[in-house]
Amino acid sequence: MTDKSTYKQLGFYLDQSACTGCKACQIACKDKNDLPVGISWRRVAEYTGGGWSQDEVLGTFKPNVFTYYTSVACNHCEDPICVRVCPTQAMHKGTNGIVGIDPTVCIGCRYCEWACPYGAPQFSADKGVMTKCNFCQDFLEQGRDPACVAACPSRVLDFGEIDELRTKHGHTADIEPLPDPGITKPNLVITAHKNAQKSGHGNGTLANPNEV
Amino acid sequence: MLSELPLVIFTIIAQMSVGSFVVLGLIHLLGGRAGRDVIDKVSDPALYAIGPILALGLLASMMHLGTPIRAINALGHLQSSWLSREILFGLLFAAIGGAFALCQWFTWLTPRWRQALAGLAALVGLALIWSMSMVYLLPTVPAWDSWATPVRFFATTVLLGSLAVGAALVVTADVRRRRGAAADEASDALIMSSLRGIAIGAIAMLGVEFVVLPLYLGRLATAGSVASNASADTLVSTDGGYAVAQLVLVFLGVALLGVFLSRLAKRFSTAVQFQLLAIAPVAAFVLVFAGEIIGRMLFYASYARVGL
Repeated sequence: MTDKSTYKQLGFYLDQSACTGCKACQIACKDKNDLPVGISWRRVAEYTGGGWSQDEVLGTFKPNVFTYYTSVACNHCEDPICVRVCPTQAMHKGTNGIVGIDPTVCIGCRYCEWACPYGAPQFSADKGVMTKCNFCQDFLEQGRDPACVAACPSRVLDFGEIDELRTKHGHTADIEPLPDPGITKPNLVITAHKNAQKSGHGNGTLANPNEV
Repeated sequence: MLSELPLVIFTIIAQMSVGSFVVLGLIHLLGGRAGRDVIDKVSDPALYAIGPILALGLLASMMHLGTPIRAINALGHLQSSWLSREILFGLLFAAIGGAFALCQWFTWLTPRWRQALAGLAALVGLALIWSMSMVYLLPTVPAWDSWATPVRFFATTVLLGSLAVGAALVVTADVRRRRGAAADEASDALIMSSLRGIAIGAIAMLGVEFVVLPLYLGRLATAGSVASNASADTLVSTDGGYAVAQLVLVFLGVALLGVFLSRLAKRFSTAVQFQLLAIAPVAAFVLVFAGEIIGRMLFYASYARVGL
């Protein structure tokens, strides 16, 4: 068994083609990290669209609606915009390539929240500072999987050295409703759903904006 | 519309403070004929008013923070974060501008040194407005990530700065008159010529705002991303009424000043006429200030981010 506490750069993998959108990952994260109402480090976006298409020969109509799910936490980006804009350096790139927030330095200005296109840094009004996914660093040190990965009943969520994930699963991360990966270079690999649309070229809508 | 009120107050006040400082500097540079004593007499009260107002703005910016007690940490990432640079230039402007005001009050240093200090404060103030604009050029926020952001911030700086100084000059003169000070033709002449310059500057900035806004909105509405559409929708539909109110208030304010000046400029010899004239710059400032506050509230309300 490989040592689960040292990595060059950690990343997440999502097999979107088999994700059922059950949100067990989201709840496991909330439970493990004891997150209050309004803060969800991992969220599941439901992207939906389509309508009717007409058969050219018969002239009949059939539905071509689609929905697919994208489970997203912090992607511990290669070029994290949150770290770039943070005025205090509380937001930093730490061990294993994890983007972490130092709550004793953060002033709660919420600038990272404005900037991050994945909604990863989230403000805690109680603590007066930003909070975010820390890749369950404590679990990794115990040799355990992150809570979200461990909880996935469809086993579509995985994590590991990003280079290895990319060798195994490819480089796709530009899927609606996620942003263009060029902005922050996320350490995220997705096996696309058959109806998945390219970032910036979607014709569907986010069906659960209040949940993400 | 009520989101980020501390930042609305901070950015408007900081811009007004820098603008006022620069306009007072211009009065000193261009009003040379009036003589240093007259210029100081007319403009110093306005200068001293900037300090407390700027302090209020900086205080408001701290109210934005989740942990204001650690506000000083905001200076911790100057090499990469425009927010750090904004706070640095904000504090430097307050410090250098404050030092200049103290020197002016106690007549410390020679006039030439004081002038150098004021020039430095003005430059740092302009750097503040520039870094304040750059804070909002986030590639993930299409409504802000536009050349229009710095242009509008500088337009607001000049517009509010000049009108605030205009109002301060006439209020100062009016208070002196009420206290029974003898009529001072040299001061009145300087105030009148300053007001004329201020009106011209304000009309120019009004022009800038009225040209930039449609161009900016057109670009935003046709950019085509989900985030830019959401922002455009906020600006023209959800909060469209506020957008109209902003333009009407700013236009009315500037127009009021222009009309009163052109009507009354040539015959203000009596105290009554001067008092009547004093109302116009104050009303113009109040109207434009209200318009700019609404405009800044819209700016924050238009926030929408790409991605999730």
